[in-house]
Amino acid sequence: MRKSVLFCVALLTLAFGINAQAQTVSGKVTSSGDNSGLPGVNVLIKGTTTGVVTDIDGNYRIQASSSDVLVFSYVGYLTQELPVGNQSVINVSMESDVETLGEIVVTGYASQQKKDLTGSVGVVEPKELVAQPTGNVTSQLQGRVSGVTVTGSGQPGAGSKVRIRGISSFSNNDPLYVVDGVPTFDASTLNPNDIESISILKDAGSASIYGSRATNGVIVVTTKKGKKGGVKLNYNSYVGTQDPGNGPKGLLDTQGYADLQFLVYNNDGTNEVHPIYGPSPAAGGTSPQLPSWAANTDWYDVFTDAAAITNHDLTLSGGNDHARFFGGFGWFRQNGIVKHTYTQRFNLRFNSDFTVANDRLKFGENLTVSRRNGNGVTNLAEGSPIQMGSYRTQPIIPPIITTPITGIFHNFVLGEFGGTGIAPRLGNGDNVLATLTRDKDDTNFDIRILGSAYMDVKIIDGLNFRTTFGGTMANNYWTNWTSKTYESAENVGTSSFSEGANYNNDWVWTNTLTFNKQIGADHNILAVVGYESVKTGIGRNVFGARAGYFSDAVSFRTLGNGATIQDTNSGSNTPSTLVSQFVRADYSFRNKYLLSATFRRDGSSKFASDTRYGTFPSVTAGWRIGDEAFMSGLTFVSDLKIRGGYGTMGNQLPASPINQFTLFGGSPSTSNYDINGTGTSSAQGFRPTSIGNTAGQWETQKYTNIGFDAGLLDNKFQVTFDWYHRTTDRLLVAPELPGTAGAASPPAQNIGSMKNTGIDAQVIYKNQWGDFGFEGNLTFTTYNNEITKVFTGTNFFDAGGSRIGSFSRNQVGQPMGSFFGYQVMGLFQSASEVSGAPTQDGAEAGFFRFQDTNGDGAITPDDRTFIGNPNPDFTFGLNLSLTYKNFDITTFLYSSQGNDIFNWNLWWVDFWPSFQGQKSTNLLNNSWTPSNTGATTPKASNTSNFSTNTQSTSYYIEDGSFIRMKNLQIGYSLPQNLLNSMGFTSFRVYLQGVNLFTITDYTGLDPELTGPDSNFGIDRGNYPNVKQYLIGVNIGI
Amino acid sequence: MMKRNNILIAFVITAFGVLYACKDNFLDITPQGSLDENVLANAEGIDGLLIGAYAMLDGTSNQGFGWQAASSNWVFASIRGMVGNKGTDSGDQPDINPIQTFSESATNPYINIKWRSEYEAISRCNNVILVTQKALAAGTISQAEADKFIEQARVLRGWFHYEAWRMWAGMIPYVDETTDPQTVTNTADVRQNIIDDLTEGTKLDNDMGQIGRFNKTVSEVLLAKAMMQMNGDYAGALTLLRDVVANGTKPDGGAIGLSPTYGDIFSIAERNGIESIYTVQYSVNDGSGGWNGGWGEVLNFPYKSGASPGGCCGFFQPTQEFVNSFRTDGTGLPLLDNSYNNNPVLNDEGLTPSDNSYVEDPGPLDPRLDWTVGRRGIPYLDWGDHTGSDWIRDQSYAGPFSPKKQVYRLSEQGATTEVGSWTSGWTANGYRLIRYADVLLLIAECEIETGADDMGLGEINQVRSRAANSAGFVKEADGVTDAANYQISTYPSAGWDQAKARLAVRMERKLELGMEGHRWFDLNRWGITQTELSRVLAYEKTQPWGNSMYGNATVGPEDVSYPIPQRQIDLSNGNLVQDR
Repeated sequence: MRKSVLFCVALLTLAFGINAQAQTVSGKVTSSGDNSGLPGVNVLIKGTTTGVVTDIDGNYRIQASSSDVLVFSYVGYLTQELPVGNQSVINVSMESDVETLGEIVVTGYASQQKKDLTGSVGVVEPKELVAQPTGNVTSQLQGRVSGVTVTGSGQPGAGSKVRIRGISSFSNNDPLYVVDGVPTFDASTLNPNDIESISILKDAGSASIYGSRATNGVIVVTTKKGKKGGVKLNYNSYVGTQDPGNGPKGLLDTQGYADLQFLVYNNDGTNEVHPIYGPSPAAGGTSPQLPSWAANTDWYDVFTDAAAITNHDLTLSGGNDHARFFGGFGWFRQNGIVKHTYTQRFNLRFNSDFTVANDRLKFGENLTVSRRNGNGVTNLAEGSPIQMGSYRTQPIIPPIITTPITGIFHNFVLGEFGGTGIAPRLGNGDNVLATLTRDKDDTNFDIRILGSAYMDVKIIDGLNFRTTFGGTMANNYWTNWTSKTYESAENVGTSSFSEGANYNNDWVWTNTLTFNKQIGADHNILAVVGYESVKTGIGRNVFGARAGYFSDAVSFRTLGNGATIQDTNSGSNTPSTLVSQFVRADYSFRNKYLLSATFRRDGSSKFASDTRYGTFPSVTAGWRIGDEAFMSGLTFVSDLKIRGGYGTMGNQLPASPINQFTLFGGSPSTSNYDINGTGTSSAQGFRPTSIGNTAGQWETQKYTNIGFDAGLLDNKFQVTFDWYHRTTDRLLVAPELPGTAGAASPPAQNIGSMKNTGIDAQVIYKNQWGDFGFEGNLTFTTYNNEITKVFTGTNFFDAGGSRIGSFSRNQVGQPMGSFFGYQVMGLFQSASEVSGAPTQDGAEAGFFRFQDTNGDGAITPDDRTFIGNPNPDFTFGLNLSLTYKNFDITTFLYSSQGNDIFNWNLWWVDFWPSFQGQKSTNLLNNSWTPSNTGATTPKASNTSNFSTNTQSTSYYIEDGSFIRMKNLQIGYSLPQNLLNSMGFTSFRVYLQGVNLFTITDYTGLDPELTGPDSNFGIDRGNYPNVKQYLIGVNIGI
Repeated sequence: MMKRNNILIAFVITAFGVLYACKDNFLDITPQGSLDENVLANAEGIDGLLIGAYAMLDGTSNQGFGWQAASSNWVFASIRGMVGNKGTDSGDQPDINPIQTFSESATNPYINIKWRSEYEAISRCNNVILVTQKALAAGTISQAEADKFIEQARVLRGWFHYEAWRMWAGMIPYVDETTDPQTVTNTADVRQNIIDDLTEGTKLDNDMGQIGRFNKTVSEVLLAKAMMQMNGDYAGALTLLRDVVANGTKPDGGAIGLSPTYGDIFSIAERNGIESIYTVQYSVNDGSGGWNGGWGEVLNFPYKSGASPGGCCGFFQPTQEFVNSFRTDGTGLPLLDNSYNNNPVLNDEGLTPSDNSYVEDPGPLDPRLDWTVGRRGIPYLDWGDHTGSDWIRDQSYAGPFSPKKQVYRLSEQGATTEVGSWTSGWTANGYRLIRYADVLLLIAECEIETGADDMGLGEINQVRSRAANSAGFVKEADGVTDAANYQISTYPSAGWDQAKARLAVRMERKLELGMEGHRWFDLNRWGITQTELSRVLAYEKTQPWGNSMYGNATVGPEDVSYPIPQRQIDLSNGNLVQDR
């Protein structure tokens, strides 16, 4: 075959050589992006099969006549046609095709040109992805694609919550990631620098090919592959620092705290001798006395520090006609602004592709190995350092003892930790510095291998069989030391240590037949038939815990060295399996009329054999109306496509692998009993642990999507707009059972339903004025979520528990996570107002007056109402970049508008009886007194009752809207002549600032916060996203 | 070329075919790490389920049943009965506040958790019965074995229902092994069901071989309590209780009787001593992380900053009125007309530990006070003297007293307390569900109400004589000197009529069983809840901490029960109704 082609070419060349005015044309083909030579570009004489290919430096030489037209083509670049004329040298700069409508988009089990898409697919450009310096690809998606809502904290290494077009399930709304064909729900170990493309399949038309697990959207990740041509080396790096900034605003200093105690004394008329501040006014005191050891500590400053961030990526890639490879090594380390915390990731990647047997057989693999370790803190939790340190520790406590304190249970000497134990009435918080210091040697690492191998056989032209086997293997190992303490009011008496490990594997095997054929001039067909089997959650875990350690030494921390066994345990995961068959067919007529249909049938082990199969069809259509003749008059419209579709998708994630089984079990903490009266051992007992549901079946989502893609003014403006409506029925809910049914875990049942509607829009503007280049990219996202059914008996469930009950109520007619409680009407001003108002427990002048919602003259739980909504009205991301000659400047702004935050921190600091922790200046200076009747903060009092701090109320609700500059980057690329002389193909240096400013009215540390879907937007001490300053370099050789 | 294509196509078809063929097996998964009913349907399995039911006697479990569900009922009976208050600081566990101020709403989580704990326990009992029936049908156990399992399961089920009955004044669903838990109602009179279940336990042997099981004696006491509380059946109860005194044993066959000294009753070592008829067995360092070690009472230790017995959290502080009750008259008898409040026991409220102006109360006191209440100047077990406000989390909020009965001794720390957590307050000091003095006082009450025998005089004096054993008085550090002016004597038979006897037995239960989870239930049985607690409340409000504790609280007629948890009504689809 090849021989015959060569022979023909030779013959034709010979023929031209003899019969025409042949001349030699030569030149260099370069990439417009970096001006590097492009190897492997096809140079063809138009209308012939005569052609050559550029060499490794991009040079070519061809015989052509002056009337010929040369066609330069290369995958990923715009094809150019240039007449030869009388030129003997033709240099060509190839324009990248990536950012145009000709872009290739990876979709479900296939690739398509963007112009042919009929479903709603968002694409993130790799350069946008790596613009944010975080180690986790999930946080880098924020604001980059319309329809995608990403929330996260500033905790290093922590993944963000990604929600595609709202919330569709009560319990699990994580999108499915498909990494080189391997489905996974954990993309956190990926190195963002290894990613070639990310496609986000938003609607049923695009995603239902992934049927069973597609309801939450699918994020298709393709990693980089080698390209034909010489070996290329790329090195990217940045280093920087993170600035913790200031702690929460408006907290008291030591004197202020003492003054507040006296204000409380005055308000309450308390007669006592305070163990620190001396006699109260009623006992004859005039002002608080401060002890000699009194510090004035800014606790946020104590437990935070400037923190380094470092990233290095080195990749090597290349290949020839038969083999290509891409290898990469990455190291990322980010220290936390919380002392002694960090995350670190090492990545190795090796992707390779081989072509044999005259291109009939291709095979290859994608493999990444990542090792992560770190030492983190819990976030958004009572007891996290952020909350404990910032809001629960009085400033009078010295973090380190500077004045010895003796005569109590422990003699505090210089250099020891201070704490709540040094005197009474200091509360019960921890010295966060002590905790962080003691915990710093804990180990936590995991090694995760994620990869796949494939073989692709061309059976006949246009028909390929492909088999892919992939999966993940994850191993985790951890130790946890809890030191005994001496400084606290509530000390830990003995040190304890626990240690554990687990593994978790899964695999997928996919087989597809793909038919792709242009039939005649008008018909184009792409069809895929496939079969897939998946097994996930294969794993075990083991751990032990002991207490009573003779020494605190790190080297002594083994389980064997503990005197008392606390726990020895292991577990085995019940895996789940899926088998699926699917078909997809895309048809286009004259490139203008597009039709796509998918059908998938899934079986799941989570359901009993009668109900385990679900079928998920979808149909979408598109009309490239811009190509119609009647549109040709509208010259400002370069391109216009209208598209829409309807389909169904399924979900089984909320059902546990054992959902269909009624099971018994037991554990010391739930069912053992000391039947022999030993006092130190218990006999094994059993209890019903789970109730089975053999009728469970797939959640089903019905999805409608209508949108258009437009290119305006020579495609300088590109607009994408989508409207969607999706309803999810038969939602798998594990309904809370009546107490009379016992406490065994209820099974998920197909009860609930939910509705989401919204619009996504994206506008891109690009232009070049001489040396100036500009690009703006605006993404806009809205969703409206509404619960339409919860349980059979009751129409709500509460979530987001706290010391004063739940804050969130998920109820029919409301969006997920709505805040629920009493509406504060103001403060009672007098006893007569109290007596004239609806009956309210604990009511007195200076305390909250609640709204009598049902007007029955008494404030009861029935008066609680919806007091806030954590779902934003809309979010947007705006990326602006400007280039001038070799300089570039980019900024990215992200905003969330209209979302409420439940500021739980106010409970700790705005109410005196909410534990003896830190308090606010607001409580001291602005709270209600008989002479300050305009106050919104209730009277400073030691009374804790229904009318003060024991209920969920609108007092805690704040507007969480913000606009934040997430990124500002200024870069300079070395000019070409300098590069050439230095042997580089590219060299860019840049300065970057992250989170440089935030505009918000929110009073907490950071309005960007996340949480479970049933109770998010609750600030329980949020690890802030802080300012970062970086310097980086991108080098290509 | 074609041949190769054929091979490839054949390969593809074969590959699909193989996958298709094995798919059904592939989708059948075996649950890991659990058991099914069939594995348990034998003697060992059923006994395991039964132990799981006994495990709910402490009310708590790592399934969301914490201190809210404590079997000692320190919140629902002791705090509600005003022998103690919430204690600690005002923001901690705010859901207790409305319970102690008689203003709890149906949404109070404490009430819901208590409910769920009782019915989880009942569900476990029903599973024992169901699996026993299955095993019997399969022939894997004998009828005698089955009877023994079912009798235990039924007396336990009766007890848990009775516990619910007295919480919710009878407005409870009765759930047996045939009940549909989703549709059961709470309007039927379930007293006979409870009596029947408890009666089943009286068929058990007295010697069950293990101290943790219910035996005939335990069942008789529980049945008698239920008969008295639910039906006012004092005569029936008296018969049962007299049999207990005459023939009763511990579950392991051991003898029962009064402990020689009062204080010994509450030490961990004596938890299964002669006084105990049934103690809920607590165990520590058994791998449960404290859940078997009295999780329900873990908050109820003094709060001496940095060095407390227990380490946390300062809850459950005795009230002044309760402390005053221990005042005796010149002859060592209690002041049955409540005039003790005219001569209150001195305390150190408002004073720092170093303030030497504190004067220990010099007046005559019942010696049981200092085994029940921690107060300044009195040795606190072997922890040294209680030094006052530095043992209290916030004296201005909840008063000057500490709880004592459940607290472990320093010498017991580590051996019979949980090691390696934020508190050592998880102990093996099991809750004394039934102790001998309780039985004697119940007998006395039955005799008084039925006019039988000496109308309880003998039993009450038996209890008082034990308390009067001076070997059991709290001593100063020298081990010789009484820590306070203890004066206690027995009642003379002169003037002992029903009215006086009634007052005497009611006072005696307050003094003898104070802080042990009986008070509010006792008041309900006597029908004096509103009047008695209104009186106590009026006095307690006059204390410096009275306003922060009780505010404008009042006791209403509805306060003889708790509301049915609103969440349970919501979940019942209309089958459960509110009782008030």
